[in-house]
Amino acid sequence: MNLMASAPGLLEKVAFVVLAASALGGALLTITRKSAEGALIALVGTFCAVAGLYASLSAHFLAVLQVLVYAGAIMVLFIFAVMIVNREETQPIALRGLFLRAASVLATGYLFYRVAWIVVREKQTDVLASSAALPIPGFGTVASIGHLLFTDFLFPFESISILLLVAVVGGVLLSRPSRPGGDAI
Amino acid sequence: MFSRLFMIPLLPLLGAAYLMLFGRRHSRAVVQTLASLTVFASFVIAADAFFFALPKVVHQGGISELVYTWFSAGTVDVDLALRMDALSGLLCLVVTFIGALIHVYSAGYMAHEHDYPRFFAYLNLFCGAMLTLVLGDSLPVVFIGWEGVGLASYLLIGFWYKETANASAGKKAFITNRIGDFGFLLGTFLIFRATGTLDIPAILDSARTGHALAAPLWLGQPVAFWAGLFFFVGAAGKSAQIPLYVWLPDAMAGPTPVSALIHAATMVTAGVYLVARMSAVYMVAPAALAVVAIVGAVTALFAALIGFAQNDFKKVLAYSTVSQLGFMFVGVGTGNFAGGIFHLFTHAFFKAGLFLCAGSVMHAMSGSGDITQMGGLAKRLPWTTRVFQICWLAICGVPVFSGFFSKDAILGGAFATEVYGHGLAWVGPLVGVLLGLAALGTAFYMSRLYFLVFTGPCRASDEVKHHIHESPVSMVFPLVVLAAGAALSGFVGVPPALRELVGKHGESTLSVWLEPAVGAPLEISHAIEWAGMGVSTLIALSGIGLAYVFFGGGYRAPAHAFVHALPRFVALVRDKFRVDELYAFLFIRPLASLCRVTFQYVDRILIDKILIGGWAFLADLGGRICRFVQVGDVQRYLAVFVIGLTALVWIAARPTAPGEVEVVVENHTARITLLDTPSSPDKLTYSFDFDGDGIPDRASATPTATWVYSGPGHYTASVFIEDARWHTRRTFKQDIDIR
Amino acid sequence: MPGYCYILVSLALFFIGTAGVLLRRNALFVLMSLELQLAAGSLALLTFSRGLGDEKGHVVAFFVMALAAAEAAVGLAIVVSVYRTRRKIDLDAINELRN
Repeated sequence: MNLMASAPGLLEKVAFVVLAASALGGALLTITRKSAEGALIALVGTFCAVAGLYASLSAHFLAVLQVLVYAGAIMVLFIFAVMIVNREETQPIALRGLFLRAASVLATGYLFYRVAWIVVREKQTDVLASSAALPIPGFGTVASIGHLLFTDFLFPFESISILLLVAVVGGVLLSRPSRPGGDAI
Repeated sequence: MFSRLFMIPLLPLLGAAYLMLFGRRHSRAVVQTLASLTVFASFVIAADAFFFALPKVVHQGGISELVYTWFSAGTVDVDLALRMDALSGLLCLVVTFIGALIHVYSAGYMAHEHDYPRFFAYLNLFCGAMLTLVLGDSLPVVFIGWEGVGLASYLLIGFWYKETANASAGKKAFITNRIGDFGFLLGTFLIFRATGTLDIPAILDSARTGHALAAPLWLGQPVAFWAGLFFFVGAAGKSAQIPLYVWLPDAMAGPTPVSALIHAATMVTAGVYLVARMSAVYMVAPAALAVVAIVGAVTALFAALIGFAQNDFKKVLAYSTVSQLGFMFVGVGTGNFAGGIFHLFTHAFFKAGLFLCAGSVMHAMSGSGDITQMGGLAKRLPWTTRVFQICWLAICGVPVFSGFFSKDAILGGAFATEVYGHGLAWVGPLVGVLLGLAALGTAFYMSRLYFLVFTGPCRASDEVKHHIHESPVSMVFPLVVLAAGAALSGFVGVPPALRELVGKHGESTLSVWLEPAVGAPLEISHAIEWAGMGVSTLIALSGIGLAYVFFGGGYRAPAHAFVHALPRFVALVRDKFRVDELYAFLFIRPLASLCRVTFQYVDRILIDKILIGGWAFLADLGGRICRFVQVGDVQRYLAVFVIGLTALVWIAARPTAPGEVEVVVENHTARITLLDTPSSPDKLTYSFDFDGDGIPDRASATPTATWVYSGPGHYTASVFIEDARWHTRRTFKQDIDIR
Repeated sequence: MPGYCYILVSLALFFIGTAGVLLRRNALFVLMSLELQLAAGSLALLTFSRGLGDEKGHVVAFFVMALAAAEAAVGLAIVVSVYRTRRKIDLDAINELRN
């Protein structure tokens, strides 16, 4: 199960770089596409790369869930929505005025820079390396996460299910036709 | 309740307030009756107090009354207190009596006036303020009245304010007065600083018995000198002496009753009253008295000269007033306080009478006061003529009439005074001579006025001639009363020499009466008195005779010849020696330029554009900013949020410098201390590598460590900060030189 | 790989998502960028969880995923509903609070 038991070897580094590049590249593509479909595809790619990153962090259960739920279900929802809302964009970029746009970009960049600076400065020296030995056998497996879910985190687990029920009801209500007997679309 | 002192000024003030608020609702008869009644009631109360209550206490300082304590500030209590003593009681009577008469006169004179209630309201206001001035027992209360009469004067001079000239005359009076007021205040401050009190009895007491006022202040002169000088500046403003007399002739723009009451009989005498009131202070510094006397004498002569060439009836009388006030100041300035007040008393009667005659004549001449167009009015205006004659003889100083006695008292006093001491002994005779000349001048120009107006052929146009008629009874009655006063009021001041003739001894009634207030009267030897009386009579008759030569029965040959011979001189005199023009050049033009510059730069640019426009601009800017934010666009809100967060991070959380390392080196021992340690809730461990090999040599929980080096050299030491929980390590490097 | 690399990736994803939320007019794009941000958060959670050896991070990431799904569903339903009445989904065009 654990493919990278030793110190970061070349393989691991390469894998990380590829996955990270895919994730970031996909993200950039997503926000810069003119057409919604293209953006969707890019986003799917991003999620898959992120799932790979999860796997390299020994979070296997969540890696699979990421692919199933995110790249699967949620993206399908998005595709349906894009199909329904089928129009050309006249002006893709929000925010009137060059000043606001430039300022937003710069602000975002600056915030990234500041936080990244701190992160890099306080370089972790050892343990967060994903290639260290697994702290617990079965770390990140379905069994251990499941165990946690049904013991320590039972209440949130049940609440989440209610939340999902509410979301389903809300979704159905919202997409009902406005006039009785009218078209559903 | 009704015989309290404070009712005396209060009644006219209440009348003024009522008339100003509600005067328009009542008919003219009611307005006039009400106004006259308040002043007449004041007269009754004042007379009652003066004749019945006052004589009992006049030697103890008179009747005093505390209305209420106005304010206390530090060591001084300022009370609203009134006092009627010998001096103020006399003036009270004069003000209320003549005031009441003028109210009655005005009923007829102003009958065609549109703004009737306002006029009577202002007249009442004036009377109230004047009475406050006279009755005030402390300098602030006097000052209230002082300012009040200035205000009333301004309002009344500019009564017909729609004519710019009238409004300007009012302004001129007020501003000139204000300069005088400044002097009054300075005097008050000096006196307060020296004596610590503002109450008049206390001040006079300190002057008579204490030393505070005699202490030297500036230029070797005592406090009393400077205080007296400043008070005289105030008096010069109020009583139109050089250099502040220029407002009085212009004040003739106001209605004639105003000129009669304010600018002849009462307000202008406030200055004389002030000097007499402060007599004890002045006696401490005779040099101040000398200044007063000299200025008074010069003014008297100067104004008389100007009066020679004036062609407006009221202007002649105005300069006459200035001149006669100079006489009064000579009187008080030579220590002859009773004499000065005596002349004030008689002058009130005959000058008011003369002014009311002027009103009568102008009324007859359809509003014109140009004496070059008058003449021969005696036939058409019998009553006016007779009153004028009496007052004219009084002012010239013809014996038996009141003016004779009062002028004589002053002239005699000037020569006989001993108040100056040796250094200034020449002042008395000098002033006396100047005054004699002024008296000659007075006789001359008043006679000129009489002859040109009442005798000879009438030079008016036919249309005007047609309208000439005597005044109604409401106007004639006060005239007659005043004439009686002008004739008889002199008998309260009959000098000792004449009293002996009828078997009475001692000083004149008036001098004796005023003694508790102003001090002992001047002792004049009988010889000087008789000489004085003779000279006065001579002067008076010469003046009249000279005027007859020039103007008897109209313009005569000598008059024309004189004007032909010296046309420029005559023009100069007629233009009042161009003093107004001089003032305009010296003071008014620079001030006007300053105003203009200030307006253009300070007002327009600094205040309007920058200060006011600036705020408006800022408000607009704020609005723009808010409008920018409130658009309802969620993404804009988010963008602002992010940008704001960035700004916060930028400002508040600057990336910190790596931290300071302090190194202390002694011989071969180095101690490293890490200043500015990062704060963290977790425990940090510090490890120190001193020899630069990368292996920590020391570890401690505190950021300090010491190491002894084996030998000299250049080392690079490092400090590591480790956080066990978050597994972080920070490194600081530091170079150490060991010698 | 040292943990900070993963954190940097997470940060980059998050801020790219932020830029997308701020700068795209289409509501769908905004929702997509939102999902990006959530994914970034989960990545950071898992990184620290691995480093500290505590599985609680996994559990929280699990919940985040569930929430993201619910939120995407409801959000898309709203978008579709809005589109039906107004025929457009530009965020600044469906603004009722203008000025």
